[in-house]
Amino acid sequence: MDKCIREIRDKAQELLETGQVEVVIGFTAGTLPGKSTPCFITRGEDCKLLVWDEGCKNNLANYLLKEKRKAAIIIKGCDSRSLVNLLTENQLSRDRVVILGAPCPLTEGCEGCQIKSPVIYDYLVSGKAGKTGEDDFHDVKTFARLSPQERKEYFYKEVSKCIRCYACRNACPACYCRECFVENNLPQWVGKSTQLADNLIFHLTRALHVAGRCVDCGACQRACPMGVDLRILNRKMLLEVKELYQFEAGLKEEQELPLNTYDPGDPEPFLAGGGEA
Amino acid sequence: MKEPKIVAFLCNWCSYAGADLAGVSRLQYPPNVRIVRVPCSGRVDPLFILTALKHTDGVLTAGCHPGDCHYTSGNLVARRKFTLLKSLLEFVGIEEKRVQFDWISAAEGNRFAARIRDVTEEVKGLEPWDRWGGRQDG
Repeated sequence: MDKCIREIRDKAQELLETGQVEVVIGFTAGTLPGKSTPCFITRGEDCKLLVWDEGCKNNLANYLLKEKRKAAIIIKGCDSRSLVNLLTENQLSRDRVVILGAPCPLTEGCEGCQIKSPVIYDYLVSGKAGKTGEDDFHDVKTFARLSPQERKEYFYKEVSKCIRCYACRNACPACYCRECFVENNLPQWVGKSTQLADNLIFHLTRALHVAGRCVDCGACQRACPMGVDLRILNRKMLLEVKELYQFEAGLKEEQELPLNTYDPGDPEPFLAGGGEA
Repeated sequence: MKEPKIVAFLCNWCSYAGADLAGVSRLQYPPNVRIVRVPCSGRVDPLFILTALKHTDGVLTAGCHPGDCHYTSGNLVARRKFTLLKSLLEFVGIEEKRVQFDWISAAEGNRFAARIRDVTEEVKGLEPWDRWGGRQDG
């Protein structure tokens, strides 16, 4: 990893000093051990503060949305998938961002991770990304084998922990609506209390809003201060979209998001009897 | 159990007209259903259905048959949303019969009445719904 971080620092410094970008978005050492913190570097000499280690977990693609300056961003596999989605959805213009791709620094990696190297980049930092396995969604499939009653109890128990801080939404690069449905007052789509009913509606709706766009980076779950198991809902949607529409978000630069389109022959499993009339 | 309350989201162009036909044809169907007329089944946001379940025991959503949408593709786009919504609800343990979908054309008054009869019976047959954990009777 030494070589990797040296390359990142050199390239970042070069980009800043030659004026190709005004800011570099990356990670620097955090105040807690094992947690690196996102940072915005504007001076070439500060590039030595950049780090690329186990603690670099946040999805940095999120920060590009609010960045007005011409920026360089250091990204790993899942961040790059988010970035591809943002480009697909016209939230970013490609010529305003310089992408410094690097192999994922997490040695353990996240369960089910398929892409540790960036799918989109201007410069690729050398280095070997950890092994990736085929995602078999065994967590989703195991959960689905429980009885409906057990599933409901588990889901209610998890969601009742939620304090509606919206950290999950804020950490998510797919959740960029300027006006989120939870904050609307006229009409008020969903109650703002932490009553179970409002929490359930919030989490189910959020899972559906990011369905077909979620890249399973796990940012929501890591951001959650109450340890709610949010990922299981997103991963269920991931599996459905993959099986029904043969689509995985952010893997190709040219992509059409499955919920923006339709096929006349789409299956209709939601009809009574599974649509087999 | 007490009589279940059911909400039906019906598209303006087909299913609502189908309900109207059931009415003018004097077909009998249970009074448990409350109809909400929407411009198109594509207008039915999953949030509508989730919120309806906070106050009622079952939801039926109906629109034009695929290919017959007044707006050409509203129901085709809706199809993908409904597919994901229904699978998510089943995943978290909500009974399959509680949230139902159908295509009902303006000529299918009989089908509409039969569908309402079925949905009402099926919802009656389920365990009482806790209305997302906040059941208040009524």
